[in-house]
Amino acid sequence: MTDNISSKIKNISTLEYKEKDFEYWGPSPDEARKIMVNKSHGLLDKRHTLKDAVAKFIKDGINIGIGGFVNTRIPVAIIHEIIRHGAKNLTLSFQSNSICPELLAGAMILDPDRVSIKRVELAWWGYEIIGIAPMVRYLTTNGIIEMDDYTNYGMSARFKAAAMGIPFIPVRDHGGSDMELINRGKMIECPFSGKNVYLLPACHPDVGIVHTSASDMYGNARIFGAHCTCPEIAMAATYTIMTTEKVIPTENIRSYPNLTEIPYPAVDTVTEVPFGATPGASYGNYWFDMEHLKMFRGLCEDFRKTGNKEGLKKYYDEYIFSCQTFDETLEKIGYKALKNLKDMDGGQPIILT
Amino acid sequence: MSEYTPFEMIAYTGSRVLEDEKIVFVGTGLPIIAAMHAQLTHAPNLYMIYEAGSMAPILEMGMPLSVGDTRAARKACYLKGLCAVFEITQRGYADYAFIGGAQVDMYGNICSTIEGHNYDKPNIRFPGSGGAGAMAANCEKTIAIMALEKRRFVKQLDFVTSIGFGDGSSDYRDKAGVMGSGPYRVITNQALFGFDQETRRMKLLEVKPGRTPKDIQDLVDFELIIPPDVKEMAEPTDEDLRLLRDVIDAEGYFLKRVIKK
Repeated sequence: MTDNISSKIKNISTLEYKEKDFEYWGPSPDEARKIMVNKSHGLLDKRHTLKDAVAKFIKDGINIGIGGFVNTRIPVAIIHEIIRHGAKNLTLSFQSNSICPELLAGAMILDPDRVSIKRVELAWWGYEIIGIAPMVRYLTTNGIIEMDDYTNYGMSARFKAAAMGIPFIPVRDHGGSDMELINRGKMIECPFSGKNVYLLPACHPDVGIVHTSASDMYGNARIFGAHCTCPEIAMAATYTIMTTEKVIPTENIRSYPNLTEIPYPAVDTVTEVPFGATPGASYGNYWFDMEHLKMFRGLCEDFRKTGNKEGLKKYYDEYIFSCQTFDETLEKIGYKALKNLKDMDGGQPIILT
Repeated sequence: MSEYTPFEMIAYTGSRVLEDEKIVFVGTGLPIIAAMHAQLTHAPNLYMIYEAGSMAPILEMGMPLSVGDTRAARKACYLKGLCAVFEITQRGYADYAFIGGAQVDMYGNICSTIEGHNYDKPNIRFPGSGGAGAMAANCEKTIAIMALEKRRFVKQLDFVTSIGFGDGSSDYRDKAGVMGSGPYRVITNQALFGFDQETRRMKLLEVKPGRTPKDIQDLVDFELIIPPDVKEMAEPTDEDLRLLRDVIDAEGYFLKRVIKK
């Protein structure tokens, strides 16, 4: 980065940060391409249990790309299984999320030999109306995890670049903010207009985790409501674990192929998990569970303020470790609560035929 | 005239700032309420973008509690994902960014990432940019809501998350490679600010009835431009308050929040 093409952000910022040489935090574009080329591209029945899917693809040291957006269509069932399975030294990549990274962070607080986060490339980590995310505050203010900040578009565009098979993408944001200094993007002079433009490196997670509205057994998936960045994450990742509200017949997919947002070669495993995003929301299925999010957030905040892990430990024992599958977690949440969340969605229209 | 709360004044003022036949890219909370109020009053042809991917929804299921709320997708004209709505924003479809933040400086730069100087070990970590950095860069005009306090209206930010006019130089935004024209209004419950065209510094436009420009300057750590023609802020009427309290945020999720001291 030379002075004549960087913006003048250093004139207004007193920020202190470590200069870092560029490195990929997951597979490089060439590595990601190679893995994709070497996979079977046939229409294979990809239905697996989540336990098998996670055991096969989740390994120590990988970059996990988390789908959804804040409390919408977040892959909570997959996160539970990852916590049961254990994974250390993780890199997390997402735009905005709430309980998914908080659950992983809480698991790390309880037992760093089971789950640990090394670094996070993100735009936002919190609960919106419910409050700040206590675990990210704890981990960052104690210098325990490394952060790499982008905007929501920045992270989305990085997944999109990866999904497009290009190594970087020019964007019209980050420049002139401190993100220009601290993240792994770079200001260059556009070779055509001669004007400054900010470039972001493609982000290929090793494993993308997404929850969709419907999918056939091959992984052709529909998404209703906001797509968030789920298609891009699934197509950027070298392997994608997908949960879906409902597995639908392939003939439905072929009747309305325009409705497919994620094509089957992008998906490695499909598991039907109704309510798989709860306590997040799934458009057309259920609204977000504010009481549950508040309850879990409260336990995290108790830990952050007092150092007492007891409440957290009980939560993980109750909802994750004592359950073999997410169905068992849902049984504990209970029919009445789930029925209420379904009613709160108000029957937003989705197409399964 | 009924009594109104600081949040109601902010929402009402936000509504006044929004013009009809525009598109506003909203953040969670008061920006959504302000835009809904504007739609119900003077700007029936104003539409919203929600960053999870929805454009021009009809919010008949009630106020979305967050920008990712599935209710924000209800009966939208266009419903895709984050890439789509931020790309049409780069393209010039979004007239206003409507955002909040923890600190603002005299050139309208905003911090919502950290408090403290060390990025690798901050004193406080906030959620981060989210959409704000991209909205402030590429919506045509940026409207910000802030609490009017010295620790928030600061000489120097701890971290520039959302670009304003940078260091105030005329080509700062151009050199930064962003598209929008930049800061337009800063809304508080006691004052409405704009920006001086020549210097790009924050300028006092209106004060709450009963307040003086000096009262406002005392709550700001940098020197404001105070023109001779500072106006009084309009106050919400009974009908405005009825819309805010009974129609838009009937459950009181945002307007009835208790302010932490």
